Amino acid sequence: MENILSVLVFFPAIAGLLGFVVNKESARVYGVTVAAIEFFLSLWLWFAFDNNNAGMQFVEMIPLIPDFGVSYYLGVDGISLFIVIMSTLMTLIGMISMNIAKNIKNMVITLLFLEMTMVGVFLSLDAIIFYLFWELSLVPMLYIIGAWGGPLRIYASIKFFLYTFMGSLVMLVGMLFVAYIYHDLTGVWSFALTDWYALVLPVSYQLWLFAAFFIGFAIKVPMFPFHTWLPYAHGQAPTIGSVILAAVLLKMGTYGFVRFSLPMFPDASVIAITPIAIISIIMIIYTAMVAYAQKDMKQVIAYSSVSHMGIIMLGIFAMNAEGIGGSVFQMLSHGIVSGALFMLVGVIYDRRHTKMMDEFGGLATVMPKYALVFGIMLMASVGLPLTIGFVGEFLVLIGFYNVSPIMTILAGTSIIVGAVYMLSVYKKSFFGPVTNEANRTLQDLDAKETISLVPLVLIVVWLGVHPKPVLEPIDNSVKAMLSFMDEKAITQEAKEMIKVAKSTQEIK
Amino acid sequence: MENLVYIALFAPLVSSLFAGLFGMSPRQTFVGIVSSALLFVSMSASLMLAYHVYQTGAPIYVTMKEWISMGDLFIPFGFVVDQVSVTMMGVVTVVSTVVHVYSIGYMDHDKSFNRFFSYLSAFVFSMMVLVMSDNFAGLFIGWEGVGVCSWLLIGFWYHKPDQSREENPSISPSWAANEAFIVNRIADLGMLVGIFILYWNVGSLQYSEVFAALPQLSEIILTTAALALFIGAMGKSAQFPLHTWLTDAMEGPTPVSALIHAATMVTAGVFLVIRANPLFSMTPEVSFFIAALGTFVAFFAASMALVNRDLKRIIAFSTLSQLGYMFAAAGLGAYWIALFHLGAHAFFKALLFLGAGNVMHAMHDELDIFKMGGLKKQMKWTYIYMGLASLALAGIPPLAGFFSKDAIIETAFNEGTLILWIMLVVTAGMTAFYSFRQVFLTFHGDERYKAFGIHPHEMYKFVLVALSPLAILAAIAGFFQGGFHDFVTRLLPEYQMSEHTHHLALVLGAIVLTFAVGGIALAYKKYANGLKRDEKTENGFLYKLLANQYYIPHLYEEIISKPYAMISDLMWKSVDLKIVDATVDGIAKFLYKSGDGTRKMQTGNLSNYLNWMAIGGIVLLVIAMLSAMLG
Amino acid sequence: MIGLSHYLVVSALLFSIGLMGVLRRRNLLMLFFATEVMLNAVNIAFAAISHFYNDLTGQMFAFFIIAIAASEVAVGLGILIVLYKKQGSLDLDELTTMKG
Repeated sequence: MENILSVLVFFPAIAGLLGFVVNKESARVYGVTVAAIEFFLSLWLWFAFDNNNAGMQFVEMIPLIPDFGVSYYLGVDGISLFIVIMSTLMTLIGMISMNIAKNIKNMVITLLFLEMTMVGVFLSLDAIIFYLFWELSLVPMLYIIGAWGGPLRIYASIKFFLYTFMGSLVMLVGMLFVAYIYHDLTGVWSFALTDWYALVLPVSYQLWLFAAFFIGFAIKVPMFPFHTWLPYAHGQAPTIGSVILAAVLLKMGTYGFVRFSLPMFPDASVIAITPIAIISIIMIIYTAMVAYAQKDMKQVIAYSSVSHMGIIMLGIFAMNAEGIGGSVFQMLSHGIVSGALFMLVGVIYDRRHTKMMDEFGGLATVMPKYALVFGIMLMASVGLPLTIGFVGEFLVLIGFYNVSPIMTILAGTSIIVGAVYMLSVYKKSFFGPVTNEANRTLQDLDAKETISLVPLVLIVVWLGVHPKPVLEPIDNSVKAMLSFMDEKAITQEAKEMIKVAKSTQEIK
Repeated sequence: MENLVYIALFAPLVSSLFAGLFGMSPRQTFVGIVSSALLFVSMSASLMLAYHVYQTGAPIYVTMKEWISMGDLFIPFGFVVDQVSVTMMGVVTVVSTVVHVYSIGYMDHDKSFNRFFSYLSAFVFSMMVLVMSDNFAGLFIGWEGVGVCSWLLIGFWYHKPDQSREENPSISPSWAANEAFIVNRIADLGMLVGIFILYWNVGSLQYSEVFAALPQLSEIILTTAALALFIGAMGKSAQFPLHTWLTDAMEGPTPVSALIHAATMVTAGVFLVIRANPLFSMTPEVSFFIAALGTFVAFFAASMALVNRDLKRIIAFSTLSQLGYMFAAAGLGAYWIALFHLGAHAFFKALLFLGAGNVMHAMHDELDIFKMGGLKKQMKWTYIYMGLASLALAGIPPLAGFFSKDAIIETAFNEGTLILWIMLVVTAGMTAFYSFRQVFLTFHGDERYKAFGIHPHEMYKFVLVALSPLAILAAIAGFFQGGFHDFVTRLLPEYQMSEHTHHLALVLGAIVLTFAVGGIALAYKKYANGLKRDEKTENGFLYKLLANQYYIPHLYEEIISKPYAMISDLMWKSVDLKIVDATVDGIAKFLYKSGDGTRKMQTGNLSNYLNWMAIGGIVLLVIAMLSAMLG
Repeated sequence: MIGLSHYLVVSALLFSIGLMGVLRRRNLLMLFFATEVMLNAVNIAFAAISHFYNDLTGQMFAFFIIAIAASEVAVGLGILIVLYKKQGSLDLDELTTMKG
């Protein structure tokens, strides 16, 4: 399997095209089958992955526009490997749990295209190809929100599209400028990331470029104050849309910071530590408070996503292996946990057609299994040790402590404010007597929901108790990246700030 | 030996998972029996380990596997069985085995019987992880684990509705559970910070490496680390100002109160201070702060217990007060005495709580001691157990409490901290008073419950038998003081009274005893022959202050919970929607409006267009001319 | 002596007359006439400057313009007739179907 990455990227798209000839009744089965094959392919990738190699693996490169150095260039390392697996997993799980009556065939095809773009973003090593997939990912999501969403779906989908699109245009300008500088310095055009990494830029250039990329990524993350598209998108999107959006699409932003901003602009990144940390802390505390004020269960989860993304951002700018590795792990953990939480909200929405918490109360009595799964995901979300949520959060906080104790304490309040809103959701919805008659006859989780949620519960516990298989490749790649950044950094402050782990191996 | 460690540790987990399998099915007695048996296995293993450590004096280290490894951080699942942890293991497993057996009887009418055992065993597992870990991260796993189990168990009767604070001071079980979890989380942040400080200054979280590296660290780092860790301990052990959750936690089933909120979990904070004694002995300021805070809490909690009418809350306050004693001892450097009191207290306090559970069971969950009285006829054994436990608590020789508490008070004298000594002595008197006020109001005097149509009955036989180990331990534990001292001081620092104190030991003991007996006598005089309510006192300021817990829960609600909810709402409705989002929409609206405005130029009238064209041409000409003129 | 500037002044005047016609007239036919006047104003300028510089290119251009104006009138009048048949009017204020 030389071309495993290409297969991973294009298999869903080709299958999606073929999906047009599949008849309506078997569309879901078809979608689940394709997603399952894709998921197993990604597992195979993990199996074939060399844990000791910190560099890019399974590299494929075909020149597309040789005159301008644009090529079809794919590769995977420890940082992207698990995000890809998480994307295929969440697509599969989302597909299984999907509960959509109208136009299911279109939904399946859209999801498969979306899967292509997601996998493509995380595997591309060429800026143009990356940008291509990055922008393409907006289209299926626009369609999902706009066609299957709630009453405000048009507003939400257009806001989502235009907002993120505008940000990425600025990023495109930044990319073109990097390519231009590259051409200026070397005489050849190249959009290959690995070539760009070798570029040592003056600090003033780095700052401008960092800002350009920042706008693109920050809107996607979404960072405060660019986050307001998210609650609308989540509020209006169908369950499957929210699951993919929270689990995978948001990770594109943070992945972009790790893949582009840090290694390309190490000095600018070090300068940006304090402002970004402040924004992250605002994200963590402020959105947690906003989440607490929500009446709609789904909005709580949506705002909690922003809060958790704050933790991830903080870790990325810790400039040490603990923080960055923790962030990458937290991306996976947030993907799985928030995906599961959105699915859980979907479960109750399907039954009651409302997400308002004051309509519920006492659900634990009526739906004990549902309450159990929700409880486990809640605990993972607030970062209970031995669940997936703790590992990332702990690593991020311990990593950032080295940068600034005070800011770490402020960010650490996430474990308090996070517990406040999550527990209050749980209390309002699940505890207390059953007050609403409509809730008395609710069905507990059915087979389809159980099949889709149980694997997530197992992963949450498994990676909480035994995160090693995932942490090890991440660890190697992050360490290699840090030592590379340290070599590349120009300013003394950056060299001091970037902490190369003592246990870093030689880069092959 | 390794296998014994694993058995001791994992038997409760197996028990929890087993009971969990039946969690959603109807009550099945065998679930309780299997759970109790597994706990008994764990207890046997722990006691065998204790014997082994006692014999050889060598700690057992077990490393299971790597947990987190990232950058230079390496955290294994490692366990250590040494004198301190084995003591805790013994205490935890003994009490929890008794509580498990007790629960078979106590919970027999509850439809969530199986679920209860699952939670209870999960708690024991977390507690074992907490005490056995050989590193701070492992400790934190257990620390959070017991927090969650406590959340689950306090909120066990989650279906109860919220009530107003006047009807029920803890509002509802689910409310109390959330309060406990959140307050503990606040403290956990402190704990995490302590862990971070140690990691970045030592490079490891293993106890052995951290403690070995302490002498190289600067004083400020040591002090902040110690303080941060102690903040963690304050939450778990419900020290002021994070104490309100403990009394509210009494909403949980009584076996839970006995196991978690008296004997084991709340002592985790004390355990942490004892475990990290190398750190705390190097930071005298922090240690003194611990001792002073402990003494204050001892007095403060005892004062609230004086007037409370709720059977369980009185015991909860007394737990708080005794935790204060333990911290006082630990803060003064007498770590082994703190550990000794921890163990002794676990036995008699669990017994007291379980006895209270018997009373509740008999009184159909009535908790107001003003509505009881004269129960000793119907409940002879419970009376004996609770009387014994109260005597131990009051510190009457030769029961366990006398030896352990007296040692703490003596330590306070020995350290020359006279104020602490006086407060502790007075508290001892108060302790005796409120314990016996409770005993007399419950078991002596007129049978006030008859007015409420309650027909009390004694608990099941097997439950009473199951309580006997605790009763025996509460009675005789004090005699092992010497042996215990020799055992644990192999690991913990030695603490000896000075010559001077030694001479005065008898006098000091007599003073404490006088206070204790005085307290009991006063309680006897006031309450043994029936309840005579004194309207004037009850409406007095002091009485009201104490009965309302110094209004601290109200205060927290007014200055923390309500403003937090208000600010959150404001943040959402005013800031997020009206400022942040409105700005974004504003930009979009501006673009839209400007397009909409200029659209009107498109009149469709060719003549207008030509006019515009001419104007444009003229403007361009003017610009060209101007630029030509300006060069 | 009549010099270049006189021709240019005439040309400018004619152009202005044409421009005013374009701006003020509402009838499409009149607009046509006005544009013809402007074109011829330009022709005058071309011819005069061409003569002044002794360069025949300008006069060539004038011929071009005459030819184009002629064809323009031919096509344009055709369109106008069709338009008139369709709308019954050549008044610009009534021909505003392309309003934004």
